[in-house]
Amino acid sequence: MTERTVEDRLREEYFTLLPDARLVLEELKAEVGYCLLPLLKKLERHEKITVISRIKECESALGALRRRQEGAIFDPNRAGEYSLKALNDLAGVRVLAFPRTRWAEVNGLLRQHSQFTRWTSDPVLPTPNDPDTQPLAFKYHGYCSRNGVVRAELQIAPMLVGLFWDVEHSAIYKPSPQFKGVLAGMNERTNKVYEALKEFESEFERLIRRDPLKARKRKKKKKKRGRNQ
Amino acid sequence: MVTEERKKRILEDAGFAYSFDRLSYINRQARKVFSIEFVQDNDEAEIRARIGKPTPAGEWEFNFNSKPTDSVKREFLRSIAP
Repeated sequence: MTERTVEDRLREEYFTLLPDARLVLEELKAEVGYCLLPLLKKLERHEKITVISRIKECESALGALRRRQEGAIFDPNRAGEYSLKALNDLAGVRVLAFPRTRWAEVNGLLRQHSQFTRWTSDPVLPTPNDPDTQPLAFKYHGYCSRNGVVRAELQIAPMLVGLFWDVEHSAIYKPSPQFKGVLAGMNERTNKVYEALKEFESEFERLIRRDPLKARKRKKKKKKRGRNQ
Repeated sequence: MVTEERKKRILEDAGFAYSFDRLSYINRQARKVFSIEFVQDNDEAEIRARIGKPTPAGEWEFNFNSKPTDSVKREFLRSIAP
């Protein structure tokens, strides 16, 4: 009989952990949804907040753990020491917000929520040569209150960046074999995309704030609310 | 040019190719490997010195932060076999 590889063991562990990961994901989604309710109620028509959730797929989880080892190789003699429980994002929720002021607000709200105050902050930072010091996205990981087995990740990103990542991550960050070697020059281009998206949002927000019609509507809304109280 | 870019250039100029699967720079002719962690944590002078150091005949030199075990070396070489 052929010997079981490290990967075989980890695949088995994955399916043992899957029910826990599902529970964690449900809890995380519920907590995030509850926290964001007050904010969702006061969104303007042009503003958006979307919550996306996922459980990492089996091979993707194995790949992530493998990449943590130097040389991206599992040591067959230490097979028992590897566990998918070491991953921070077996279950994950991503909150996308547009525009950026809402992104910061979402982060503030969720960070204050008792469930997440003890979670570890691990923001996605721009590359070292980027003059911008603000994170590209906020990221936290920790355990949910009803499960101490599987760690979960909460990511809060500007919507335009998050949607860009959907495409970019599958093409570049997790490269397909046929694209190998073509990617070296992409860092600079990627930074330019971030810059352009940020500029777009800044300009959009500046114009929205200056729109006299919008300001009048806001005043009217406030007045109406005051009368009703 | 930033430091990381310069280190990458030094390795590529010395005939190393980056492996996305192994997250390492590999030179089959020189029989040498540099892990990405080693490249990040060591300066250019150290990398140049390691590139210039001759590899004993019939062996591979692994420049890793933590010395790889024989089984890791075996698995690594099996995974990059042509």
